[in-house]
Amino acid sequence: MTQSDQSPYTAEETALIRKRQAARSRVMGVALVGLCILFFLITVVKVGVWG
Amino acid sequence: MTTAAREILMPAEWRDFWALTKPRVMSLVVFTALCGLLAAPGTIHPIIAFTAVLCIALGAGACGSLNQWYEADVDAKMARTAQRPLPAGRMDREAALHFGVGLAAFSVGIMGVAVNWLSAGLLAFSIFFYSIVYTIWLKPNTPQNIVIGGAAGAFPPVIGWAAVTGDVTVLPVLLFTIIFLWTPPHFWALALFMKTDYGAAGIPMLPNVKGQRVTRNQIFGYSFPMAGAAILPFIMGDSGWLYGAASLVLSGIFLILAFRVWQNEAADAAAMKPEKQLFAFSILYLFLLFALFAIDRMVIA
Repeated sequence: MTQSDQSPYTAEETALIRKRQAARSRVMGVALVGLCILFFLITVVKVGVWG
Repeated sequence: MTTAAREILMPAEWRDFWALTKPRVMSLVVFTALCGLLAAPGTIHPIIAFTAVLCIALGAGACGSLNQWYEADVDAKMARTAQRPLPAGRMDREAALHFGVGLAAFSVGIMGVAVNWLSAGLLAFSIFFYSIVYTIWLKPNTPQNIVIGGAAGAFPPVIGWAAVTGDVTVLPVLLFTIIFLWTPPHFWALALFMKTDYGAAGIPMLPNVKGQRVTRNQIFGYSFPMAGAAILPFIMGDSGWLYGAASLVLSGIFLILAFRVWQNEAADAAAMKPEKQLFAFSILYLFLLFALFAIDRMVIA
């Protein structure tokens, strides 16, 4: 039995899945970095560094 | 296994998650919330103000996601909504549910910790009201669905105000009332020329249940208290002449368009130009009314 027989997806579908996963990961990464910066700024404001 | 069955198992694109949040609805929500925030007396740090508006936007996104999760079957029956991620089969329902619940919890939590717990409580209640009271209870069961459900869309300026002041006074309640009374003419104008679509999906919108004449009467009828509520901030001395004049002119145009809808007897969507004009103008009306109110209040301040 070959690998393609075991997988429920064709090679094209597997490539599409990887592409979508990579795009989602990039968006998630940007969102997390943005939130880290926002939380840092909120903390700075809350502790009163900027008055 | 069919191709269609395998498609369901494909991971959704990030754009599909974005579409779940109903970005166009979110833009109006963010705008009215920002106006409430700018019109409120007192000051708020720009970072906290940004956080408040972001949380309101995420809360609105949660509402859109939960709404599409619950209405996937209904959306599939309407041409206007059939291409949304769930009815089009680009995403599984569980992902939409998790995304919506996650956004709701996150937005309320951050709002409470970073801004204040009154605005967080109002945000939580508005998400509950839209997702449970409107989407699950009212919308499929009564032609008055958008009258009562309109309250959910009226909360953003109150939340924006509460983010600054930490309380809710008469003026934000008035802003709430304007959107609450604006919602029926706005949605019923759409429902008149989308009647077939809503009928096919079995949603009891007023034109399908009570007929077009009753709907047109109601549109015209609701326009008067809406116009009255719009001018009240000026009468009460909470705004200047800029808003006072603008609310009179804009409400006058709204009433004229609503009168044309009331006069129209057309049963075919193609002949419903007055309804389409009123629907389009109603969006512009709310944008201009709230923008000028915020500018006016900032000038007074």
